[in-house]
Amino acid sequence: MSFKQFTIIRISVVFIMAALIGWAVNSGNYLIPIPVAIAALVILLLFRRGVKEVVVDERIFSIAEKASLITFRIFGIAAAVIGATLVALSRESMPALEPVGFTLSYSVCGLMLIYYIAHIYYNKKYSGKK
Amino acid sequence: MARINNQIRRLRFDHGEMTQEELAQRAGCTRQTIIALEQGKYVPSIELAFKIARAFGVSLEEVFQYEEE
Repeated sequence: MSFKQFTIIRISVVFIMAALIGWAVNSGNYLIPIPVAIAALVILLLFRRGVKEVVVDERIFSIAEKASLITFRIFGIAAAVIGATLVALSRESMPALEPVGFTLSYSVCGLMLIYYIAHIYYNKKYSGKK
Repeated sequence: MARINNQIRRLRFDHGEMTQEELAQRAGCTRQTIIALEQGKYVPSIELAFKIARAFGVSLEEVFQYEEE
């Protein structure tokens, strides 16, 4: 199977999955999305095994690294500023904004924690120290 | 500022007009990576550089040249 064929199958599976999940949520069947998502994942993994071409290589990983870093920086700064602003606004006049502000602020804390754990792990892994 | 040039395009044609797809398969990367390398937009890892050199059956220096400007 070529990568192009796999891409067509991948898009089709995602569309079908989105439609099924949308229908399930609309009709109140909240348990259906879980098996649908798992089934879609399994189907995609099985089809991906059939692709003979190289799908992912170091350039794609390099792009992903750069994109992840810039996403982390933009989201971190934006969420911290917006979170602090919302918390400040909630104290002044709009108390309804407080949970949103704290959610954003804590999500930045969580993201930074994951980043630093990953950083420590990879720094040790590639440091050459025993 | 240093620059790493490569002779991939010339070597492909020297090797019976090898296609980008064929080279990508031999080196274990995507065709898009070969295109990016030929256009000088991407510098490969040492591992990929060796794989490309081996795909052509030449030394690393024959494919990649380090030039200081």
